[in-house]
Amino acid sequence: MHWIDGIVQGVLLGGLYAQYALGMALMFGVMKIVNVTHGDLVVLLALIGISLANVAGLGPWAVLATLVPIGAALGWLLQRALLNRVVGNDPLPSLIATFGLSIALQNAMLVIWSADTRSLSGGGIQQASISLGPIFVGVLPLIVLICATLLTGGLDLTMRRTRFGRSLRAASADVEAAAMVGVNPRNVYAAATAIAVGILGFAATFQAMRSTVAPADGPFQLIFAFEAVIIGGLGSIWGAFAGAMILGISQAIGFRISPGFGILAGHLVFLAVLAIRPQGIFQRRA
Amino acid sequence: MSKYRVARMTLSGRVALVLFTAALVGICAMPWWASQGLIRDVVTLACYIAVAQMWNMLAGYGGVVSVGQQAFVGVAAYAMFVLAQTFGVNPFLAVFLSLLAPAILAVPIYGLLHRLEGAYFAIGTWVVAEALRLVATNMPMLNGGAGMSLRVMTQFSAHERAVASSLLAAALLLVTLGGSYLLLRSRYGIALTAMRDNPVAAASQGVDVGRLRLLIFIATAVGTGFAGAVYFMAQLRITPPSAFDANWANLAIFIVMVGGIGSLEGVIIGAVIYFFADRWFGEYGASYLIVLGLLTLVCALYFRGGIWGLWSKWVEAPWFPTRRRLIRLDGDKA
Amino acid sequence: MTPLLSTHGLIAGYGDMRALHGIDLTVNSGETVALIGANGAGKSTLLRAIMGLLPVAPEMIRLDGQPVGGRAPHRMVREGLAIVPEGRRLFTGMSVEENLRVASEHAAKPVAEPWTLERVFALFPILREKARTPVENLSGGQQQMVSIGRGLLAQPRILLCDEISLGLAPKVVREIYAALPEITANGTALVLVEQDVGLAQRASHRLYCLLEGRVTLHGTSGEISRDAISAAYFGASHALD
Repeated sequence: MHWIDGIVQGVLLGGLYAQYALGMALMFGVMKIVNVTHGDLVVLLALIGISLANVAGLGPWAVLATLVPIGAALGWLLQRALLNRVVGNDPLPSLIATFGLSIALQNAMLVIWSADTRSLSGGGIQQASISLGPIFVGVLPLIVLICATLLTGGLDLTMRRTRFGRSLRAASADVEAAAMVGVNPRNVYAAATAIAVGILGFAATFQAMRSTVAPADGPFQLIFAFEAVIIGGLGSIWGAFAGAMILGISQAIGFRISPGFGILAGHLVFLAVLAIRPQGIFQRRA
Repeated sequence: MSKYRVARMTLSGRVALVLFTAALVGICAMPWWASQGLIRDVVTLACYIAVAQMWNMLAGYGGVVSVGQQAFVGVAAYAMFVLAQTFGVNPFLAVFLSLLAPAILAVPIYGLLHRLEGAYFAIGTWVVAEALRLVATNMPMLNGGAGMSLRVMTQFSAHERAVASSLLAAALLLVTLGGSYLLLRSRYGIALTAMRDNPVAAASQGVDVGRLRLLIFIATAVGTGFAGAVYFMAQLRITPPSAFDANWANLAIFIVMVGGIGSLEGVIIGAVIYFFADRWFGEYGASYLIVLGLLTLVCALYFRGGIWGLWSKWVEAPWFPTRRRLIRLDGDKA
Repeated sequence: MTPLLSTHGLIAGYGDMRALHGIDLTVNSGETVALIGANGAGKSTLLRAIMGLLPVAPEMIRLDGQPVGGRAPHRMVREGLAIVPEGRRLFTGMSVEENLRVASEHAAKPVAEPWTLERVFALFPILREKARTPVENLSGGQQQMVSIGRGLLAQPRILLCDEISLGLAPKVVREIYAALPEITANGTALVLVEQDVGLAQRASHRLYCLLEGRVTLHGTSGEISRDAISAAYFGASHALD
């Protein structure tokens, strides 16, 4: 029962990681770039949300409804002002530019919010749980998981069924050819990053409700998102979701073996996947 | 028929070589002329230059971007502590023996991560460094999160320690800067420069890009580890967060990007700037780091060659000339 | 009369290497113009420059007499240009229908008789059967048809075709060339880059021959002699052979 409980808690944790990973999978799939500030943006949005809750008295759902558009706007701005200049075959400029921005952002948050860890009050929902047979499941983690599933499904459908999704996939396959049929790559890229960071609005709200955030946490979120994407397999939306589940389960089980081993277990599974199945568990669909 | 000779040395290069040699001699002789504080500063600066130059070789020439070089700093430093403190090996000897650890570790790390594309490789190195930090934290042999002290150093006098630190700092600079310079001037240098400028074209000209990248990954791991062992020998104490501190990657990237990627001169300029910036503005903590981060960003966006790149546009006087020039021997001006 | 498309002393290249040294070219509505020339003569570069894929000065390219040079490719599509690029450049991982829809969804303002998926399927019936097939699973000829269809669905006034016969079986080439009159029927102009000089001459109204980035010959396709073409194609020094 101990282990089954571990798996269940892992899947629930994976729901949060999936919300980190979706945007990263989308951005890498479309532009082949990694935004090193990915995790810092989660923290930034979470801190903005907590401040909004404290200053304007917003409830958690109102915070969520505010953070998603703020995230989308930040993403759009990030792409327009910065990333569009560094998209290209050479990974160095985008990596270094966002690396520098990440250091600046972390320290700017430190100046504004101090190093304290903070969290967002959920109005009692944090304590609520339901029992599934002998296992107790928190209501909030369940909501996070459902939300992650809907986001993944929604993003997948958007990619497959909409005009915008088709232009994204076309730009991802051959950006110059996409431009030749009328797709404006800069707009497509800006929209992709807006969606990616908009999804981080969900991640930020739930992260702040489920546990705590502090300005220096970003790199961990970045690494978890990255591990989920690689475990699942590059370029696949549902792959990122599944990778997040595997990462969550690995950490939860590792944590039960020894509290100091939880995060490390996730890293080891990631390295094992690279060794055994470098294309990820779920290959990109043809 | 004119006769030609291939020349690489320039006047500025000769002057720089003399200065570099003089600086190394001066560093070796530090115990007899410098204060304890100055020796410590020079050791620190030498470590910055070494770590940055290794990142520069990796990213600037090898085309391999890593943000997890602290993995090798920590592994070599811990290996040195274990050899010297736990097994009683002479610490000076232990510094060199400990370099086996990053060399051995670099092979599987590269083997695993090279399957990831460009930017993902870089994040992968970060994961490895994090994993190693957690391993160190969980290892009883390394005293876990509490860290280790190099108590064996107390058997040496202050003067003996100063001599060791000074010689190691000089050796570190000789190996990382001098070694890079010799490598770039060798036949591998041509291949490396070709690979930096265009990996696909280099591959088509018979350069084994994959093998060369593995070799440079191992070599830079050793150089980075050397800096780690020297740095923590001077610190006398090591903990997992300090050994595997992401700041090692931060400072390497800042130094190389601001100084000028793909040049040895840029690394020296960048390291000196970082060293003094850290001294003078370090007390401002976060605000200072915001500026460092933004400077790195601006260099990546607008000044890819950094300060040295801007300077070279005005003055053609390389300190470490690696380019080959054709010189006509018979003096025929026609 | 203002030509539909004209270039004026067009200069373009890749980095420091200049590939075009002042090209003057005109294309009128409903006309088929062929570009011939040896490998490296600059034919593909010319199409890429017109399409906005290479930096050029505004005055060097005019549409309806208006300077449009140097605009981004997606803006050129809005002006009524489309290209069937060298190497087809289809969107892998997407089906035939999806490839076509990306183009139709970002097309210029529809012309009088707009191209629809239906019309493309009527032009190349095999594509209707393969509509759901990922493009990477098609034969070379079928891929070329998708690429042409994609160009048409951009609703171009001028369609630039870069070596659409390259690497295809003669039967497939005939099939594709047979479809061209249907394209020009409602006024769309065609610019064909073609290796096969005879084919280019038969399929076009006028032709230009390029050599080392310059126009060495141009005239009405039916009136140009083989000798004139070979002189222009290989350069004057080879014309005596």
